[in-house]
Amino acid sequence: MEVGNWLVPSLGFDRRQISIAAITGLLVLAALLIPLPLTTYQLQNHSITLNARTFAYEPATMRVQRGDTITLKLESLDAAHGLAIDGYPVDLRAEPGKSATITFVADREGKFALRCSVSCGALHPFMIGELIVEPELPRVRAMLVTLVTAFGAVMFFWSKT
Amino acid sequence: MKREFFALAVTFLLFVAFPAALFGYQAIRTNTSGARVIDLIAYAPANGGWKPDSIRVNIGERVRLRIAAPDVVHGFEIPALGITIDEILPGHTEEIEFVATRAGRFPFACTRWCSADHWRMRGVIEVIDPANPNPPRATFAPPLYQQLKIDLDAMHVAQNLPAQKPSAARGAAINLALDPRTQSPSEAFARLRANTPLTDAQLWDAIAFAWKQSAGAEQIARGQKLYARDCAACHGEQGRGDGTAGINLPGMAMMHREMNRGPADFTNAVQMFGASDAILHGKILRGGMGTGMPEWGSLYTDEEIWNMVSYIRSFAFDYR
Amino acid sequence: MNTSRIEITRYPIVKKILTSRWLQWSAIALTLPFFILAILAGFFGTPAGNRNFGIVFVWIVWWGALILLLLPFAGRLWCAICPIPAPGEWLQRRALVQPRAGGKLYTLGWKWHRKLKNIWLQNFSFLAVALFSVVILTTPLVSSIVLALFALIALAMSLVYERRAFCRYLCPVGGFIGLYSQLAPIELRVKDHAVCASHKDKTCYVGSDAGYGCPWLVFPGALDKNTYCGLCTECLKTCPLDNVALYARPFGADLFSNTGRRLDEAYKAFIMLTCALAYSIVLISPWSILKETAYAVGSPGWWVYAVAFLAANLVIVPGIFYAGVTLAKKIARLTTPTKKLFVEFAYALVPLGLAAWIAFSVSFVLINFSYAWQVVSDPFGWGWNLFGTADWEWTPYFAGAQAFAQIPILLIGLVAAIGIAIRTAQEQGASSRTALPVIAFCVAYTLALIWLYV
Repeated sequence: MEVGNWLVPSLGFDRRQISIAAITGLLVLAALLIPLPLTTYQLQNHSITLNARTFAYEPATMRVQRGDTITLKLESLDAAHGLAIDGYPVDLRAEPGKSATITFVADREGKFALRCSVSCGALHPFMIGELIVEPELPRVRAMLVTLVTAFGAVMFFWSKT
Repeated sequence: MKREFFALAVTFLLFVAFPAALFGYQAIRTNTSGARVIDLIAYAPANGGWKPDSIRVNIGERVRLRIAAPDVVHGFEIPALGITIDEILPGHTEEIEFVATRAGRFPFACTRWCSADHWRMRGVIEVIDPANPNPPRATFAPPLYQQLKIDLDAMHVAQNLPAQKPSAARGAAINLALDPRTQSPSEAFARLRANTPLTDAQLWDAIAFAWKQSAGAEQIARGQKLYARDCAACHGEQGRGDGTAGINLPGMAMMHREMNRGPADFTNAVQMFGASDAILHGKILRGGMGTGMPEWGSLYTDEEIWNMVSYIRSFAFDYR
Repeated sequence: MNTSRIEITRYPIVKKILTSRWLQWSAIALTLPFFILAILAGFFGTPAGNRNFGIVFVWIVWWGALILLLLPFAGRLWCAICPIPAPGEWLQRRALVQPRAGGKLYTLGWKWHRKLKNIWLQNFSFLAVALFSVVILTTPLVSSIVLALFALIALAMSLVYERRAFCRYLCPVGGFIGLYSQLAPIELRVKDHAVCASHKDKTCYVGSDAGYGCPWLVFPGALDKNTYCGLCTECLKTCPLDNVALYARPFGADLFSNTGRRLDEAYKAFIMLTCALAYSIVLISPWSILKETAYAVGSPGWWVYAVAFLAANLVIVPGIFYAGVTLAKKIARLTTPTKKLFVEFAYALVPLGLAAWIAFSVSFVLINFSYAWQVVSDPFGWGWNLFGTADWEWTPYFAGAQAFAQIPILLIGLVAAIGIAIRTAQEQGASSRTALPVIAFCVAYTLALIWLYV
């Protein structure tokens, strides 16, 4: 029993398909790893006041460049809220009259969810914002990988008959 | 048939004994101490406030308060009985046991800013002395602003202003005799100006020092704590009147035309140097002014309000 | 066709377990207390959803286990151990373990209406739950009312209708479990169709002293896909000829045969696909206005949301796909009715849809899983601390790393969808390029999700 048959039953890979799979795999690796041309950019310091309210952050999206320093002041408009950012060691708590501030360097590019860490009502688990650290290479690479994989899959399953 | 009976017994246990065990455990857990359990649910005011918002207990009775917060973070305090729970997280239940030793009607309140109407989240605990169920009503001396017949709602604008922020440190060498409670800094300046060798700036520094001295470091620190808990949400952490909870307060349109619309800015010399401590004390105690300013007189002792006034002065004076 | 399948039941120990009369009852006796606790917690526990056993165990732990593990690896296994229809089935049988003589059932035995013998009702019951899901998912009381309602309806239907009519025709969850169970690497099938054909008694369907006739109203001898087999193992017990077996098989094997493709199932695929996208936009995006509108049931904004949500599910997404299929028909100059092509090609969306649901679930199940530690110690939020974990802090697991799971899963789903689309084109006697519009649809859908997630 071939392993291949477990994944794609009763097709039986031929030599053409194996080469297509191999080439697609290499292209996927390339899409993940090749250095993409980046424009040079003057590093900046961002001072951002992030307002938290039930159940949203304002601004909902923060956009910075990789390497920028962010001074983030969390202020609450109504009740106690928290802030955790996926992939960044940020853990703040604030309520009206008690703001919290953290300074960190945005050294990971991509999109990261902001999440409330203090229970604040029904939609608390969905109190989400986002930090976008440009260039958004992960998104570009993910989309490239998707297109490459789709193209490879079409070639793989394509039959002239 | 034996097997079937076994399965039936287990199924019966799941449907009947299992829920009974859950509720039974809760009942047993509560009854161990022998205290009377009072359940209190802390809803933000928009969701109904305290449920219930009035409690009656007997003097000497052992009471266990069990407080749950279903919506957001709340706190709990009965200031008169010295009972405090700093934090009740949503979905948690906090318990506190006490014996009330003096009779009276005491307010309790939420101590964590939980919504725009947070300060409305109050209730009353009535401690009854069975031996004396109808005590005569306590009498209070009228607050200082009433004794001085001050109209709290009038404008109290400073006639004299310093060129720079008066510094208590710079004025520390000079001792002035003045009563901060009954006069405003501006009035003190006007009165002292006539017969003093000091320059204007020196006099203002001396006034700042006198105000600081009249309070005492410990009192200012206590005032600072209360300010952070109850005032900063609207008046701002730096006293600038820019707190997030002070945005769009309902009464603001009615505020005096010459004043900034919004919570008072304690760094504003025109307002702050025009008001005596009695005025500030009265405003905290009574609240109102047609603005969103709550009354705090029912929660704080007189001393606590004076402490807060002393701390608030540190925004317009430089107390460092 | 499935030469690579392995008969699991050939191992005596497996066979012994699967033919044991204790099996299903014991499994349900394990899930039932969780279900009872979940319902009680919703009714009597704290309204704070993330601290209520009902919400956390149903919508994070159970949902996570169902979508991430049970469904992709064991198909309808959940249906075999689901406690919701159990009380009704036990009453129907007036037995828990031992069967009544001849597998007799105590029910009015009404037949399900012929026109409803499909999953359209399940499509609509799922949509009904989905429309209010932002409330159901977050409000313990509402969640428990819905679960209790399911249990009561299932019970009532057991007393009136024959067998598991609720599971088969009404359960909102059963519909998509059935659809996606086609992808699972296990199947229950007969060993030799000829044996069934010559067996006059058909004890697997009518029941015998050894067990009940198929509760799912399926004749095992005719099984060629997992969709409607509830894996209850009754037929393994009632077959006197040892002709029923459980097999391990390749993932998705059911989709390599295009027999019995139907419009109701096709629509199920569209509804699931649309809902995964809609929830990704509404729930886990930074656009709070959407979640607040979806939560404010009855407000003017909510009506707009409701109409948009239903239109997307029933008209817009299927409509775009229909346009694609029309184009495909033009490309290949096919004479097959477009509606038939629409149904045939829709099955390419089955792996894509499950992949989308896994990816969407990854985004909130791991992030919120740590709430489970809190609620096992304090299921009602009453201040209990049974296992000392009540005060453990919320800790998002793999925060910022979900995409490493989401993207590969989405790509596997996409590759499978492309394979099935091309195969479907060939089965229609058309060239591979006929599938290109359908493939474009799948790629666009995948890119949309990746754009939202990464």
